[in-house]
Amino acid sequence: MTMQSPEKPSAAPVRKPLNLIQAINEAMREELLRDPNVLVFGEDVGKRGGVFLATEGLQAEFGNKRVFDTPLSEASIVGAAVGMCIRGLRPVAEIQFADYLYPGFDQIVSQAAKIRYRSGGGFYCPMVIRTPSGGGVRGGNHHSQSPEAYFTHTPGLKVVMPSTPYDAKGLLKEAIRLDDPVMFFEPKRLYRSFKEDVPTEDYTIPFGKAAIRMEGSDITLIGYGGVMPDVIKAAEALKAEGIQPEVIDLRTLIPWDREAVLASVAKTGRVVLISEAPRTSNFMGEVAYVIQEELFDQMLAPVVQVAGFDTPYPYALDKVYLPGPNRILRAAAKSLGY
Amino acid sequence: MFEAFTNQPIRLIGEDGSRTQPFELDLSVDELLQIHRDMIRARVCDERLIPILRQGKTSFYAQSTGMEATQIGIAWGVKKKHDWFWPYYRDNGLLLTLGMPMGRWIAQLLGSNEDVCKGRQMPQHFSDPENHIASICSAIGSHIAPAAGTAIAQKYLGTDEITVCTFGEGATSEGDWHAGVNMASANKAPCLFICENNQYAISLNVKDQTNSKNIAVKGHAYGIPGFYVDGQDVLAVRAVVKQAAEYIRAGNGSVLIECLTYRIGTHSSSDDDSRYRSKDEVESWRAQDPLVRFERFLEKEGILPAREEIEAYYGSVLAEFEEALQKSDASGYPTWEILFDDVYSDLPDHLAQQALYLREENL
Ligand SMILES: Cc1ncc(C[n+]2csc(CCOP(=O)(O)OP(=O)(O)O)c2C)c(N)n1
Repeated sequence: MTMQSPEKPSAAPVRKPLNLIQAINEAMREELLRDPNVLVFGEDVGKRGGVFLATEGLQAEFGNKRVFDTPLSEASIVGAAVGMCIRGLRPVAEIQFADYLYPGFDQIVSQAAKIRYRSGGGFYCPMVIRTPSGGGVRGGNHHSQSPEAYFTHTPGLKVVMPSTPYDAKGLLKEAIRLDDPVMFFEPKRLYRSFKEDVPTEDYTIPFGKAAIRMEGSDITLIGYGGVMPDVIKAAEALKAEGIQPEVIDLRTLIPWDREAVLASVAKTGRVVLISEAPRTSNFMGEVAYVIQEELFDQMLAPVVQVAGFDTPYPYALDKVYLPGPNRILRAAAKSLGY
Repeated sequence: MFEAFTNQPIRLIGEDGSRTQPFELDLSVDELLQIHRDMIRARVCDERLIPILRQGKTSFYAQSTGMEATQIGIAWGVKKKHDWFWPYYRDNGLLLTLGMPMGRWIAQLLGSNEDVCKGRQMPQHFSDPENHIASICSAIGSHIAPAAGTAIAQKYLGTDEITVCTFGEGATSEGDWHAGVNMASANKAPCLFICENNQYAISLNVKDQTNSKNIAVKGHAYGIPGFYVDGQDVLAVRAVVKQAAEYIRAGNGSVLIECLTYRIGTHSSSDDDSRYRSKDEVESWRAQDPLVRFERFLEKEGILPAREEIEAYYGSVLAEFEEALQKSDASGYPTWEILFDDVYSDLPDHLAQQALYLREENL
C-alpha cells in the first residue's frame, strides 16, 4: 500500500466518497491511464457503459480500441484475453453476470489457469475477469449465483471478492498489475448500498491480507463479499449483549490470509464462517479444515458454518436463502453456548 | 415455394398492407381474424406488464412489442401441443399463442403460488409441459444443444413432431449455438432453429455481433437451408415456418430461419436504450408496426373488423388480464417450505438437515 500514513495530517491524502461500483470504475480508469497495454472489454461495456455501469465513460475517454464491446460469447471473451496476454497486453474482461462464466469455463480453467504451468513459465496470463456475483437483487437463479468455489478449486487462478469501495479499488488495481489470471467477483448487491471515502491518489491492496473489521476476544466471525454488512450487523448485536466479537473480511480467497485467521481464532477459540454460496464444497470448508488442523487443541467450540442452502438460488425466496444477521447470531449462539 | 439464402427478406405483404406478390391464401377469414386477435393479445399483455413492474409486483421484464408478427407467425406455422419448443425469454407472443394460459403466464412473472415453476425462476423464464414448452434458461444459447437433443429423440422415437428452437441474434455468437446447430444437422434431426433478429443484443447492433451478411447464411456452414424473412410480416413468417416444418417432417433434417424484426422497447426493464440507439431509429421502426401492417392488409382484403369491435376485443383482453392478475396475486407467494423440493427426486440427508434448520428458524 502506498497510502500516506494518517499521522501526518498535512500530507493526508485527498479522499472522495465513492460507492463500490464507482470505485471499480475509477480503478479501471486509472489503470487505463497508467498503462497503454491495459484493455477493457466484454458485452455492453462500451456505449452502454456496462449493464451495471461499471465501465461508464471509459470508452468515451479511451476510445473503442481500448474499451470495446464484444459479441455475445464468454468463451471468446476469455479465450481472446488469454491470447492477448501471450502477445503482451493486460486485458480486463467483464463477464456480465458470474452466472455466465460457465460458457467461458473451459477457457478459464483449461487455458488461463494453466498456461504458465503448461509452458514451464514461458507464457502467463496477466488478466482480470471481473464479474458481478451473489444474490439479494431478486434475480432468480441465473442472476444470483456465487460460483467462486469452482475457481478456488482451480490451481493457477487468484480469486478475489471485496466488500467495500476502498478495497474494491485497491484490489482491482492490484489485480490488473499482477501477472496471474484473477477472478474478480463483485458482490452486486453492495454496488450502490453505501459510500466510503477512497483516496484519489494511487494505492493498491496486496492479495492474501484479510481486513480486521472489528477487534474482539470472544468469538471470530469470518466472511467475504456480499455477506459482510450482515456480519457486521450481527457483530454489533453481539457487542450490545456484552460479547466482544472479532470480525474478519477475507477479501481474497486465493491466496487467503491463514495467518490472520489463525491468530484470531487462537485468541477467541470460537469461530463462525459466513458466506452465501451453497454450503457443500463451499470455500469456507477449506478455512474450517485449516482451523481444525492447526488449532484443534485450542478451540473452545467446534467451527460453525453459515452458508447458502444446497439448492439452486430461488427467485421468490431470495430473502429466505441468504444468511442474514439472524442466522449469523444463531450460529454465534451455538458456538458461545457450546 | 420459398427459396433459401435470398438477399432480400421474404415478404408477402408490404408496409401499406398490399400483397407484394400474388399468393394463394390458405387461411380462412376466421383464421386471419384470429391471428389479428393473437397479435393484440400479445401486445396488451406486454404493455400491461410495465405498470405492474412499477408497482414492484415483479422485478424484471423484457418487452416484445414490435415483434408480434415474428412470434405469432411462428406459432401459426407449427402444430400446437404436438411439436416441442425450446423458446427464449422474450417469446411472450409465441408462448401465449401456443396456448399458454394468460394466468399461467402472469403467475410466473409474479412468482406467486399459482406459478407452475413455484417461484423459482426469474420473471419470464417460463415452463409449460402441457404445451410442450421447455423451461427457459437465462444463459444465452444454452438451450440450443438441448433442442437438438429433443429433435434427435423425436427422430429416434419415430414421431412426426418437430422441435422449434428460438433465440435472438446475439445467441448465434455463443459456442453452444454452433455446437447445437451442428449436432442437429449432423443427425438430420427434425429441428427448426428460428432467430428472432431484433437487431440488438442489449446495446450491441447485429452489425458488430457478426460479420456475416445476415444470420440465415450461417445455415451454409452447417449444411442446412437458411431462410431470411421479413419478421414484420406475420403471413410471411407463418408461411416460411410452415414450409420449413413440412420439409423437416418429411425427413430432410434441420432448417434455420431468420426473422428480421425490431424491439420497440428497451432490452429489459433495467436497460436505458438511449445510450446506444437514436430516437429517430426507434421511431422509424415504430412506424413499421407489424400489427398496423396486418390491419392494413385485413382492410385491403375487406375483412378488418369495425374499430369498435377491435376496441371491444382490447377491452376483453384487459379484463382477462386484470382478473388473472388478481387471482394470481391472491394465491399468495411461496414460503420457505418449498425451498428444498425438486432439487432432487428424493430429499438427501444433507438437505433434510438444512430443511430442519429452516423449520426451527421459522418456528
Ligand atoms: C451466457 C450469457 N451471457 C450474457 C447474458 C446477459 N444477456 C442477457 S440478454 C443479452 C442479450 C441477448 O441478445 P439476443 O440474443 O439478441 O436476444 P434479445 O434479448 O435481443 O431478444 C445478454 C448479453 C446472458 N443472459 N447469458
